[in-house]
Amino acid sequence: MTSESARMSSAAEARFRLDVPNSKPRAVKVVALDARSEPVVDDLAQRRWSGAAFFTAADLVSDPARLREEVDAADLVVMVATAGSHSDGVALIGEACSRRSVTTTGLIVCDEETSDAELSETLGRLRPWMLMLVVASSRDYIEDMLFALRA
Amino acid sequence: MLKKEQNDLLTQTGPGTPMGQLFRRYWLPALLTEELPEPECPPVRVKLLSERLLAWRDTQGRYALTDEFCAHRGVSLWFGRNEESGLRCSYHGWKYDHTGQCIEVPSEPTESGFCQTIKLASYPLVERGGVLWAYMGPPELQPPLPEWEFATVPSDRRFVSKRLQESNWLQALEGGIDSSHVSFLHRGEINKDPLFKGSRGNQYNLADARPVFEVVESPGGLYIGARRNAEQGNYYWRVTQWVIPCFTMIPPRADHPVHGHFWIPIDDEQCWTWSFDYKVTRPLSPLELQSLREGKGVHAACAPGTFRPLANKDNDYLMDRAAQKRGETFSGVHGFGMQDASLQESMGPVVDRTKENLVSTDNGIIMARHRLLRSVKAMVEKHVTPPGLDIAHQRCRSAAVVLPPDQPFKDAAKAALVVQDDHEHVTV
Repeated sequence: MTSESARMSSAAEARFRLDVPNSKPRAVKVVALDARSEPVVDDLAQRRWSGAAFFTAADLVSDPARLREEVDAADLVVMVATAGSHSDGVALIGEACSRRSVTTTGLIVCDEETSDAELSETLGRLRPWMLMLVVASSRDYIEDMLFALRA
Repeated sequence: MLKKEQNDLLTQTGPGTPMGQLFRRYWLPALLTEELPEPECPPVRVKLLSERLLAWRDTQGRYALTDEFCAHRGVSLWFGRNEESGLRCSYHGWKYDHTGQCIEVPSEPTESGFCQTIKLASYPLVERGGVLWAYMGPPELQPPLPEWEFATVPSDRRFVSKRLQESNWLQALEGGIDSSHVSFLHRGEINKDPLFKGSRGNQYNLADARPVFEVVESPGGLYIGARRNAEQGNYYWRVTQWVIPCFTMIPPRADHPVHGHFWIPIDDEQCWTWSFDYKVTRPLSPLELQSLREGKGVHAACAPGTFRPLANKDNDYLMDRAAQKRGETFSGVHGFGMQDASLQESMGPVVDRTKENLVSTDNGIIMARHRLLRSVKAMVEKHVTPPGLDIAHQRCRSAAVVLPPDQPFKDAAKAALVVQDDHEHVTV
C-alpha cells in the first residue's frame, strides 16, 4: 500500500524496531530425574537465571504438595535424564504437568558409551510425558537451551 | 534467544570470520550447470560468502571461478572477452587462464615475464548433478566431491532450482528445520499443490496441529522427528534431516519426489535458496517436471532470465487478502517457497535474536545453533573436522513412517534414514 509509512524490511528499516521488552520472565522448573543427572542440574543451579528453579525428582516425588505447588507455578518443566539410568519419578511429575497443562521438555544426555538399547529405554520411559524430547551428546546443551528459552 | 555475539558469529560468513571458515570447508552449490552451458559462453558474476567472483568456461570447456576484478586497475572482468583459452580484460587487454593465472600483459615485453607475477584468486568449480560446486577453503583441506543422493541419480530423475532470498542464510535454514509451522503456514497448500497432494500423511498433518517433537543428534547434524497421532494409537512420524552447515531434506509424501534445500550465503544479508526434487528409481513424470518448472512444491517462479522470485518484497509477495480470507492460503501468499521466504525476509536481513521468545517446540532450532557454535569452536580452536564432510553424513535421507507408540524413530526407522541404493524413500 502506498499509504504505508514502512515497507518490507531492509537493514535500514530494522533500526526502527521497537526496543522495549516484549515478554515477562518465565518460570522454568528443572528436574534431575536420576542420580547421574543430579550433578548436572546442581551445576546449572549455581549459575544466574531469571526464572529457573532446580530440583531432584526425589524433592518433588516425596512431597506431593510441593510437586503441585511447583507445577502450578511453572510455565515450563524441563526434566533431565541420563540415558540408561532409571527415571522413576517421571510418571508422577509428568502426570502432574499433564493435569495442569504445563509444557514439558525432556532432555536425555548421552555420551560415547551410551548404547542404543539404553537410549531407547530412556526414550520410551520419557516419551509419554513429554511434548518435546531432546537427545544431546553434550551437557552444555542444557545451559544453552535454558538460556535460549529465557529461563 | 541468542547473545548478540553468538548471533553475529553465526550470521557472518565473510572472509576471516569463524562461520566463514566453516562454510569454506565444504563444496557449496554455486551455479546451475545451465548458467555456463558451453565453452566461451558469457561469464557469470557470482557473490558467495561475501566474495565477488566470476564464473566462466574457457575454450576447452574448463570451468573457472576467479576473482571478478582485473589485477591491473580493478575493473570487472565480466566485461571481458572470453577467447582462445582465457578471459581478456576489455580495458587494457590483460588476459587470464582458468586458474586465474595472468598469461598476457600486452603493454609489457613478453620476455620480461611480468605476467607470471600476476595471479587472481581462484577456486575449484566442478559439475555434479546439474550443479556447479565451488570449494573456497584451504587447498590442502579440499574434501572429496559431494555425494548428496539427489546429485548422484540420473539427470531425468531430478530437478534443481535456485532463487534469491533477501535474508541472512540462518533465518532461511531455521525455517527449514521448523516442522511445526507446516500445519499453519502451509495448510492451504498441502492438499492442493500437485507435488504434495494425495498423501495420507497430509491428513495427519492437518488433523493434528500440535505435533510432539524429538530432536536427536545425528553424526552429521540432527534428526528432527515430528510426531502426530495416526490411527489405532500409532504415531505418524516425519523425520527431517539437517546436515551441517546448511543442508536439509524434508520428509516425503506418498510417491511424490523428495525435496530439500541448501541455504548458501551470498553475503550477510542475502542467500541462495537451492531446492531439489528427485526420485531414486524412476524418471520424473512430465506432469511433475511441468509443476517443478512452474515453481510448484518447494520451488518458486522467478522473473524470466533471473533468479529473483516473481513474488518478492517489492510487490508484497503478491499478497492475496481475498484468498487468505477464503482460507485458501493461511498468510495470503501463494506457494510453499514464497510463503516461507516472505515471512523469513519480513524479519529483516539479519534478525535480532536477542529479542526473540523461543518455546519448547523450537528445540530443533536451538540445537542446530548449538551444534553450529560447537562445530565452529572445535574447528577454530582444535582443528577438528566439522560434521557433514564425511561422505556417510551426506548419504542420508528423510523419512515419513507410521510406528507403534513404543518405538523410537531413530531405531525403527534407522534404515530409512540412510541411502538404500535402488530403493525409494520410506513414505506415507
